[in-house]
Amino acid sequence: MTELPRIAPLGDAALTITFSTSISAQASAAVANLEAGIAARPPHGLLELVPGYTTLTVHFDPHVTTFRQLADDLALVSARPVRLEVLHPTPLVRIPVHYDGPDLASVAATAGISETEVIARHSGVEYRVGLLGFVPGFAYLGPIDPALVLPRRGSPRTRVPAGSVAIAGAQTGVYPAETPGGWHLIGRTTAVLFDPFREPPALLAVGDRVRFTVAT
Amino acid sequence: MFRATGLVSVQDLGWSGRRRIGLPPGGAMDPDGLRIGNALVGNLDDAAGLEIAQGELTIEFTAATVVAVVGAATVRLEGLDRPTNTTLGVPSGSRLAVSSAAAGRFALVTIRGGIDVAPVLGSRSTYLPTAMGGFNGRRLAAGDRLDCGPDLKAVPSDGTSVTWPSLGDGPIRLAPGPQGHLFGDEAFAALAGTTYRIGAHSDRMGSRLQGQPLAVRMMATLPSEATCLGAIQVPDDGQPIVLLRDGPTVGGYPKIGAVISADLARFAQLPPGASVRFAWSSLDEAERASRLAARWLNATLKTLRSRPPEG
Repeated sequence: MTELPRIAPLGDAALTITFSTSISAQASAAVANLEAGIAARPPHGLLELVPGYTTLTVHFDPHVTTFRQLADDLALVSARPVRLEVLHPTPLVRIPVHYDGPDLASVAATAGISETEVIARHSGVEYRVGLLGFVPGFAYLGPIDPALVLPRRGSPRTRVPAGSVAIAGAQTGVYPAETPGGWHLIGRTTAVLFDPFREPPALLAVGDRVRFTVAT
Repeated sequence: MFRATGLVSVQDLGWSGRRRIGLPPGGAMDPDGLRIGNALVGNLDDAAGLEIAQGELTIEFTAATVVAVVGAATVRLEGLDRPTNTTLGVPSGSRLAVSSAAAGRFALVTIRGGIDVAPVLGSRSTYLPTAMGGFNGRRLAAGDRLDCGPDLKAVPSDGTSVTWPSLGDGPIRLAPGPQGHLFGDEAFAALAGTTYRIGAHSDRMGSRLQGQPLAVRMMATLPSEATCLGAIQVPDDGQPIVLLRDGPTVGGYPKIGAVISADLARFAQLPPGASVRFAWSSLDEAERASRLAARWLNATLKTLRSRPPEG
């Protein structure tokens, strides 16, 4: 097994630093810590930082710097000790949900609990944003209550309405726009997860804390 | 104003710095082609043009202007064949018909002043997965009327043309990816030693490859992480997917490598059904190829910009 953290090329214009092969609070803290360190003093040629659950990806301009140069620059930053506690508290975002999704009944049946219990377990936990992607503003939130962990739907829907609140695997999220999707739809929200005419355009950022509340 | 079949969309150089919120680079599949096309009509580098993906586009001009067509296409102006990569004056009321050529996938039409749609997050590009940007977030259809922006730079004289350096038909070169260690030698050898075909379900998000399946040495569930342009993702069935400009910014499939920057536009041009060969390249070779391409582009743009304007 390769030693961690590992710095590896991602093509010729990006590199990825992997802290862990599994999701953990320590890995997230290490990613956030390195990102803050790089952002405080950006190396020459840096274009973009993309945090993941256990990784930080650095996109760079290959006409300005090279993988080797940047890997050296970053080794200096990552040599600093990792603080497990992030000093400034991350924001808590509350998202009101109407729990009336088309898959609520089947999720309850598969989990062997009542719909009311599904709602209680989904809204009773504070989640953390681990990653943004799939489409702009889609935040992967987790971990969800173990009773609600289900594989994705056998056949994805070709159209999932914007604002659908969904679960799949150990994750939950809100579809920011109408797209195809294979997650189980348990509710909907009027919160706008992505608005390109707002700054920041995405409602959620990696590291944010999120709670779903039952809309009345 | 338009007859449009296939996927015709407004594209500029796309977005930058927005991957962290899930917005990929987007924009023209051949960004250097767009820069050249814009220089041929006296536009700024990042003016928006029309990208045709395997289709046909007929434009009726309501005023005299200047256009250029770059990429895999045949061009007819008022029924007469005209060259690509060339500054073409078009009279008011004339019709320009552009068909993408069988050998390629994408062609770009640039028009003096650039396509004037409202920028979204700093780009006029169309991002189809969420119907964002461009012309009402959608592909163009017959009957659409588009406006062009003001003239900002001098236009090269009619007939000015650019000859691209021969890209050859050598293998598409690959740089390493972050999960190479999850694949065995057979996978590396298969990717570089056998021929793949571009699959039918290829689009602006990615090209699907069909051929010898690539097996991961140890099954691993990866937490999703960032992708890059040209990343070669290997899903469970072993048939690789190469991410293109509208491709997702994150993914959970292992990435065995990525198409090098210098070969990305040539790869993206391969139409469904075309066969493709790959070769592993060092990062040094990728950097050299990228610098060489940039040197040609900058010199060509400089020459086009320094041409004395017509009249």
